[in-house]
Formats: sequence, structure tokens, C-alpha cells
Amino acid sequence: MAFSDLAIRFAYTLEESDAYRRAKNAVYDLLENPHARIRPYFDIFMMLLVLSSVFFLLYSVKHHLGAWSGYFEDVVVVLFILEYLGRMWVYDDIHRIIIDEYEKSDLINEPFSLSRALWTLFRSKWNYVSSPMAIIDLLAILPSYRPLRILRLFLLFRLFKLFRYAHSIQQFSSVLREKRLELVTLFSFLMFVLLVGSSAIYLFEARETGGDIDGFFEGIYWALVTLSTVGYGDITPHTLEGRLVTMVLIISGLGVISFFTSIIVSAFQEKMGEVRDRRVSLLLEKKKGYTVICGFGRVGQVVAEYLSRDKLPFVVIDSDEDAVDLARRLGYLAVQGKAERIGLLQTLGVGRSAGKVLCLTGDDVVNVFVTLSTRQLDEEIEIVSRANHHQTVNKLLHAGANHALEPFKIVGLIAGEYVGQPVAFEAIHGIVMGEDDIRLEAIRIPPGSWLDGGTIGDVPLTEMRLILFGVITTLDRSSDHVRSHFDLEDQRFQFNPGADFVLLGEDMLLVFGHQYSVMRLKQKLKRWRWRRKNA
Amino acid sequence: MRNTSRNITVVGATPVGLEVARQLTQRGQRVTIVDDYKADVDKAHAQGFSVEQINLQDDDELRRVGIGGDTDVLFALRNDDASNVFLVISAKAIAPDLPVVSISGSRDTIERLYAAGATKVIDPYRISGYKIYELMHRSVIAETMERTVFGKVDLDIAEVHVEPGSFLHGKYLDELSLDERYDLIVLGVVDRNYGDHLIFATDPRRHRMDAGDVLVIIGPEEAFARFHNDLNAELSGEEAG
Repeated sequence: MAFSDLAIRFAYTLEESDAYRRAKNAVYDLLENPHARIRPYFDIFMMLLVLSSVFFLLYSVKHHLGAWSGYFEDVVVVLFILEYLGRMWVYDDIHRIIIDEYEKSDLINEPFSLSRALWTLFRSKWNYVSSPMAIIDLLAILPSYRPLRILRLFLLFRLFKLFRYAHSIQQFSSVLREKRLELVTLFSFLMFVLLVGSSAIYLFEARETGGDIDGFFEGIYWALVTLSTVGYGDITPHTLEGRLVTMVLIISGLGVISFFTSIIVSAFQEKMGEVRDRRVSLLLEKKKGYTVICGFGRVGQVVAEYLSRDKLPFVVIDSDEDAVDLARRLGYLAVQGKAERIGLLQTLGVGRSAGKVLCLTGDDVVNVFVTLSTRQLDEEIEIVSRANHHQTVNKLLHAGANHALEPFKIVGLIAGEYVGQPVAFEAIHGIVMGEDDIRLEAIRIPPGSWLDGGTIGDVPLTEMRLILFGVITTLDRSSDHVRSHFDLEDQRFQFNPGADFVLLGEDMLLVFGHQYSVMRLKQKLKRWRWRRKNA
Repeated sequence: MRNTSRNITVVGATPVGLEVARQLTQRGQRVTIVDDYKADVDKAHAQGFSVEQINLQDDDELRRVGIGGDTDVLFALRNDDASNVFLVISAKAIAPDLPVVSISGSRDTIERLYAAGATKVIDPYRISGYKIYELMHRSVIAETMERTVFGKVDLDIAEVHVEPGSFLHGKYLDELSLDERYDLIVLGVVDRNYGDHLIFATDPRRHRMDAGDVLVIIGPEEAFARFHNDLNAELSGEEAG
């Protein structure tokens, strides 16, 4: 009883001690914290330690090293042990466990049982000790049998952070597990052939009957070497019976190997899709603000085409295998699956690093559902959805889409234009297709450039073959010299401003023109700004 | 020109077809919708459209609904490309001069529809795809267009035919300075000196207006009203004189 009181008091002392917490944080930074600045140096130091200790081990096979190598070995082992204990220490907080247990028993008005606290504590530490990394650490420290020190190389696994690929290892083992039945059958067959082969060879080729085989173990060894088609030839059969056995063994060996290979290959082929999807999400992890395109139909294809032309990152989801194949052939990142699955969206970074989601399937139900799921995952993300029926537009906006697009409505608008005004239709069609060289473009006026404070008359529109459509300004700008202006969401569009209209930095000129003219004017604005800065 | 009512035949009681029919009816055109697929016809009926069910592969039935007769423009708006191509070919065989507008589901079909004789092929998917791209990466432009040109009736795009004797006649585009006088921007021009296709008016000094040329102009409705007013006043004045 007195001892448990002591333990509780000790735990509280630690909880309140700044020095203890600082020390623990320092060790955590050194050993575990992936963001600590000291971490890389420490890792490199440990790597050198491992490599040099293994080097000395290999060197000592042929050379005699002095007594200092023994000291070095001791130092290395001590450092490893310290590291191991340090990791075990920072793995969890002993005093917190004791305090938790104490407060729990206090809450339900039961006497505090130290043994139960110790048991929880032990279980928690055991979790650490039995983790693969800790086992590898231990293997590196323990071997007093010198040749086993080579196990230290495994430490590099941890130091090179190879465990990031643990997922692949898991996948590998899950492949093997799925093919358990085939593998077990094959293994039993192998054992049977091995048993028969080694007994037969021992029978016919034992030393006593004039052969090479010294014991049953050598029989097994020989049978395995032959069966695997390795065939060292250190033991060869001399009798006719022995050679017959060899021939049978070689043929069944070929069968076993090809069977084994085909099992593994087919299993991996089945898993290939998953491996590929995994790769896609690994590639996406490095990017930010990319677009997720759900549905690679015709609309999705066009969007993808424009995005890839502008070298903007995006990923395609479609449940149809042909569509996904097409996307892959075009060199896009693509995942086959249903976008309705919230897990798939999460794997692709929706809610973390994805910046936009486009729901472009031909099924309005799916579009609404995906829009809703996406909005739940991320409040901020931009969602554009396709409405194949007019009634869906409201539902999509309710579900959280920023924009709902009706492909057929646009067509209706344009087609309607054709009947009355075939020429105007031509112009509108050109604008909405975005395929002509002449397009509507926005040119931002950089603050401090020669146009900042200038007027519309200063813009070399006619010389550069540009048609001015209007200027986008902030909402609070006056509209002098402008006969019609329209307020957008948080900007003002000044249509056809007169030559005296004053431009300010961050305004945007909307012009129709050839893309080269637009580019040229943008360059001019940049260059002049630079010149002015130097002046 | 804009307000004369014409006979339009829309083939295809599809979402696109119905939307086009709706838009055209709103603009005061006489629209007939036909289709041969019963389910689509019934659906359109349920939405309040009157659709006639005919056999589209039968030329006599096509003639009966006005193709080769009083139909001024034909829209081929079925869902599948093959039947659109077939329809365009049938219609062109009956009436070679009939303007036919069609839609295509894929890029390759556009060529085929033109080869079949379609006057204009609209690619709804490309338009939508580009629109989405604009919404995301050129949002200012998309918003402006949505608000002004494609939205309510704030800004109109309209074509103006140059009549002999109008004050447009014989002038160069830059002399006209329609932007200052009427608040109208000349977007494009069909200048018969350069051919019959639309040229964007990026070099106004190059284009002299002659009879038969067409201007594509963008501007607010009241500016158009004043402009048309002046044009008509001048014409009737000349006629009187």
C-alpha cells in the first residue's frame, strides 16, 4: 500500500517536472520526431556506425585487428543499447499510465491497484518491444555469436526509412495468403517428392553400397539441389537406379518450379490494379491543389485535355475499365473505381491536398452523391458538377457544388442563335469552343507598371490587334467614362470604357485577340515594370 | 431579320433536342419535334412537349413533316452519332439546300457529319469541357461571360447586315467608331473582299463596309435600339427622298 502511494506521488512529481519533460522531448526529437532539425544528422551518424561496425566484422574475417576493435565494438553496442532504451522510453509515458489508472479507480471509488497499473504499463511497453522495428534493433544488439552481427545491416532498413514501403511488403504477404491453398498443395507435393527422392538416393547411393552419400541429410540436400534444377554436381549418382531417380526428380523439379512461378505471377497480376492505385496516390502525395475528375466520359476527356495542356496536375476516377485504360494510354493518372466510395476519394487526397473535384458522370444521381460526399470531406474544396437534367441544378447546389453546369442548356442557347443569326452564331461558337487562335483573354495590370495610372487610350490596342471588351475593376471603382457596367460577385465589369478611363494596378483588361498579341502585351507590361524599377 | 418566324424541325426528343426546342420557341420560332424512339417520345410528352413519332428511316415520312417542304432549318439531335449521320444524309438527299445543324458525341464524328452534308456541327461535350476549364482557371472571364452575354439580356451579340445606302456603307470600321457613338463593340465581320467567313475585327482599318457585309456586334440592348433606330431612319429617309 505504501509502495503504491509512493508510485502515485512519484508519477505526479514527474508530471509536474519541467526538466523531465524537456529531457524527454529532447530524446524524442533526436530519435523519433521526423520534423526535428537534428534528426538527419543523428541518422547519418547511426548509419556510419552500422556500416563501420559491419565493415570491421567483414575485415576481421581475414585480418587480425588489435584490441581497439574490441573497444570499438563495445562502444557501438553501448550506443545501440542506449538508443534502444531511449526509444522504449519515449514510446509512451509511464507516469501518465499510473496517473490514469489512479484517476480511473478514484472515479469509480475503488482502491487503486498497483498491479493492474503495472500490467497496463507492461502491455504498452510490450507493444513497443514486439514491433518489427524494435525486434530489428534488438537483433542488432544481441548477437554475442560474432557472425550474426551481420544482422546489424538490418538497422539500415530503419535508418533509410525503408519501412515506408511496409505497405508493399504487406501487399506481398497478402498475395501469398490469398494463394494459400495452391501454395500448400505445392508444398506438400514438394515434400513428398523430396522424401521419396532422398530415400531412394540414400538407398541406392549410400557410401556402403558404393555411392557418394554419407547420410540421410546428404540425401535430402542432394534431392533439393537436383529438384530445384540448381544441380551443383558435388554429389552425383553412379548406379543406374540412382540415375533413374535423378531423371524423375529433375522432371518433377521443372514442374514444381513452373507451377510455383505461375502461382506467384498470376497472384500479382490480380493485385496489379491495387499496386497501381497505390502508386497513383503516392504520386499525388507530393502535389497540392490538384483536380480530381470523377467520370472520364467525353466532358471529362475534354477537361483533362485542357488541364494537361496547361500542365496542371489532375487524377481521373472512372468505374469503367475502358475509360480508365484510355486515360492511362493518354498518360494521365487514373484510378478505376466508383467515385461514390468515400474511401476512394479520401485515398486520392480529397479533404487534404486535392484542390478541386469535378463530378462529370452522365448520371445525375452519382454526381449529386459525389458532390455531397466531397463537401462533407472538405468545406473549402471547389466543386464543379455536371447536371444532365435541368432539375438537378438546384440539387447540386444544395449538395454543395460551387458551380453546376448544364451541357445541354449551353447547346440550346447556341443552337437557338443559329436560326436567326448564323454569323453571330459563328462568333459565339468560336468563343465557347476555345479552339480558335482568337480568344477572350484577361490581362492583369501589374501594380507599378506603365499602365498603372494610365488610361485606356494609352493601351496600344489597335497596334497590337486587340479588341477591348471591357475592364474588370474592384466593386468600389466609379464608372466615369463608362456607359454600362455590370457587377460580378466581387468585382465590377466595365463594358467598353472610354479612352479617358483611368486604369489602376490589379485591374484586368478583357480583350479579344490572337493569343500571340495577348502574350506580347503581357510581356510588355512585365518588361516596362522592370525598367521602371531600375530607373 | 431577327424577328421573322421560321419553321424549324428538331429531330430527337433528347435532353439536347428539347432544350433547343425550348430556346427556339422562346425566340418565337415555329418548332416541330419528331423522334422515332417511343420511350423518348413518351418522356417528352410527360414534360409537356408535343412530339410526333415517325419512322426516321422513311423518306416519305420525313417529307411529310416538312423536310424538302416548308422546313427552314433542321436540327439532328439524336443521342447516337450513327443515326445523326444517317438523318443528315437522308435530309440532304431530299433537300440539298436545307441548313442542317447536328451534334456529335466524339471528335471523329464531326468530320463524318460534315462529310454527310451538315451545315454546322456542335460538339456539346467540348463546349462543356472547355466551360468547366474556364470556370476553374479563367474564372473572371467565365463569370463575366455568364453574367453578361450568356446570362439574362444585359449584353447582346447580334449581327447587322450592311444595306446599300446605309451610313455604314463605304466606311472603314475604325471610322465608324461605334464604340464611342453607340457603346457597341464590333467583334467580327464578314468582309466579302476577304471571303464569306467570319473574321474577328482585330484590325478595323482593314475592313471597308460594302453592301452584303455582315458585322457581329456586342453591346447593351438600348445601344442596339438606338443604332437600329438610326439605321432605319436613314434608310426610310433615303427611300422618301
